[in-house]
Amino acid sequence: MESLLLGFSVALQPDVLWYAFLGCLVGTVVGVLPGIGPLSGISILLPATFGLDTTKSVVMLAGIYYGSQYGGSTTSILMRIPGEASSVMTCIDGYAMAQKGRAGAALCIAAVGSWIAGTFGVVMLTLIAPPLADFALRFGPPEYAALLVLGLILLAYMSSTSLTRTLLMACVGLLLGTIGIDNMTGHFRYSFDIAELGDGIGIVPVAVGLFGLGEILSTPSATVVRDVMAPRLRELLPSRREWRQSALPIARGSVLGFLIGLTPGSAHIISSFLSYAVERRLSKHPEEFGKGAIAGVAGPESANNAASTGAFVPMLALGLPTGPITAVLLAALMIHGVAPGPTLVNEHPDIFWGFVASMYVGNLMLLALNLPLVGIFVNVLRIPYTYLYPLVVMFCIIGVYEVSHSIVDVWIMLIMGIFGYGLRKFGLDPAPLVLGLVISPILEMSLRQSLIMSNGNWTIFFQRPIALALLAAATAMLVLAVLSVQRQRKDWRRQLAEAEAGDSA
Amino acid sequence: MLRTDHVVGGLFVAFGFLILALSGDLPLGTLSFPGAGMMPKLLACLLVMFGLALALHARGSEPLASLSWRDLPHAVQVAAATAVAVAFYQSLGFALSMGLLLFALTFGVERRHPVLAAAFSAAVVAMTYLLFAVALKTPVEQGPFGF
Repeated sequence: MESLLLGFSVALQPDVLWYAFLGCLVGTVVGVLPGIGPLSGISILLPATFGLDTTKSVVMLAGIYYGSQYGGSTTSILMRIPGEASSVMTCIDGYAMAQKGRAGAALCIAAVGSWIAGTFGVVMLTLIAPPLADFALRFGPPEYAALLVLGLILLAYMSSTSLTRTLLMACVGLLLGTIGIDNMTGHFRYSFDIAELGDGIGIVPVAVGLFGLGEILSTPSATVVRDVMAPRLRELLPSRREWRQSALPIARGSVLGFLIGLTPGSAHIISSFLSYAVERRLSKHPEEFGKGAIAGVAGPESANNAASTGAFVPMLALGLPTGPITAVLLAALMIHGVAPGPTLVNEHPDIFWGFVASMYVGNLMLLALNLPLVGIFVNVLRIPYTYLYPLVVMFCIIGVYEVSHSIVDVWIMLIMGIFGYGLRKFGLDPAPLVLGLVISPILEMSLRQSLIMSNGNWTIFFQRPIALALLAAATAMLVLAVLSVQRQRKDWRRQLAEAEAGDSA
Repeated sequence: MLRTDHVVGGLFVAFGFLILALSGDLPLGTLSFPGAGMMPKLLACLLVMFGLALALHARGSEPLASLSWRDLPHAVQVAAATAVAVAFYQSLGFALSMGLLLFALTFGVERRHPVLAAAFSAAVVAMTYLLFAVALKTPVEQGPFGF
C-alpha cells in the first residue's frame, strides 16, 4: 500500500499527469486511425521522449498503448473499420448497433467496459507483479532459457497464423538478433564491415519498418474510402436494459483478457476473439449476435483492454516482453538506462509504482476523453489518406534517425518496410519476428551461460525444478499445437486468422 | 500448381543455407564453451527445417497466380521516393529532404494539385521542425542552409 502511495505521489505530479494525458490522447488518435497501430505510434514517438526522464517517458508511451485500445473501438463501431486488429470483433455488433441508431450506446459501453477492464487489469498488476518479481529472483540462466523457450512455443500456439509460420518468423527474428559483436567472444557476426552493425540491429528500425512503412506500402491510397458517421451526443447513454446486458460480459471479458494478456503473442487480439465466442455461447439469445447484441461489444472491448494491461506483468516483473509493443517499451526503459526485470521493483520503486499508478489515472483520463470528445476524434478520420500517409512516412524516417542519429538504421527501416510488404503479401505475421529479435540476446546468453556453468552438460535444464517445469509446459504446448494442426479442425485460431485477413484486405 | 507456401518455404530454405554459408568463419565451439557460431548455425538449421515444412505442406495455401499485385506500383513509388529522401537526408538536411519527399508523394505519386502539395509539404515540415527543434529540444539534421 505504501508503495502504491509512493506511485501516486509520482503519478499525480502535474508534469507526469501531462505526459500521461498526452500519451492517452495520442494513443486514442493512433487507435482511431486505421493503418497506424500502437507499435508504429510508440516507435515513431520514442525519440520524442529522449529529453524526458524515465518515468514520464514510459508513462507517455504506455498511455499510447492502452489509449489505442480505447480508440480502436470508435472506427469499428462507426465505420466497420477496425482501427486496431483487436477491434475486429467489435465491428460485427458495434456497427450493427450503429445502423440501428445505437452508435452512442455502443461507444459508451465500449468506453466504460474498457475503463472497468483496464482498472481491473491495473489492480491485478499491482497485486501480482511484485511477488512474481520476487519469485523471479530465483531464476538463473537455465530458468531464463527455459522460460524464453516456453514463451516462443506459447507464441506459436496462440498465434493467429500457423505454428510453422510463427516459428519461422521467430527464427528470422532470433537470427537478426545475432547480428553484431558476440558479447562472450568478441567475434563480429554478419556485420559486413559496417561499423553500425557491430552494435546489432535495433528494435525500433525493425518495428517501424515492418509495422509502419510496411503497412503503408501495402495500402494503396485508392483503396482507402472513408464514410464518416458522427454520433449524436445525446445518444451516448445506453438504456437500463443495455447496461444490464453488458455487466456480466464486461466482468468476464476483464478476467479472460487479463489472463490471456499474461501470455506471449497477439494477446489483445486473441482475448477479444475468445470473449466474443464465450459471450455468444453463454447468451440466451445467440441469434442476436451479428445483428447488434451489446454483449458482443462489451465483452471483446473489455477483454482487449484487460489483455493490454496484463501484458505489463511479465514485462515489469520478469523483464520479458510478450509482444512487440512491450518489447519497444522495454527498449525505452533500456535507452533511459533502467534495466528491466525482477530488480526493477526494488531498485527503481519510483519508476515501477509511478508507472502502475499512472495507469489508474490514465484509464480515468481515457474515459473522460473518449466519451465527450468522440465527435472530435471521428473528425481525425476526415484527413484524406493521400495526405496522411506521406506524414507517417516522414515520421518513420525522423523517428528512426533520431534514436541514434544513424542513417544505417533508416536504411534498415526501409529494407524492413519492403520486407514487411512481402510478408503481408504472403500472409506471414511480422510480430513474432520482432519478438524474436528482442529475446535473441537474452536467449543466446542464458543458453550459453547454462552450458558453461554445467560444463557442457545439457541435462542441466532437467535437473533444476523450475526449468524442468517450464520445459514440460513448453513440450505439452507443442504437442497440443501439433495435435491441433493434425486434426485440421476449424478452431478459434483459424477463425482469428480469417478475421485478421479480412481486416487487412 | 505453384502455391504461395512453396515460394515462401523455398525462399526461407535458401535464406537458411545463405546464413550457413556466411557463418563459415564463426566458431561453433564446444558444449562446455559454445562459440559465436553456435546460435546462428542452430537457427539457420531450424529455418531450413521450418521452410521445408512449409513448402511440403503448401497444399492448403493460395495458388501463387491468385495473388493480387495491384498495390505493387504504389508500393514501388513510395519505397523509391523514401529511398531517395534517405539517401539525401544527411546532405540536404531535414527540412529540404523531407519537404521534397512530401511533395514527391503528394504531387508525384498522389497527383494532388502542385500548389496544394507544395503548401502542405512546407507547412508540415515547418511545424515538425518547430515541434522537434523547439518544443522537444531534439535537434534534427541540419542542411546546407542551416535548417
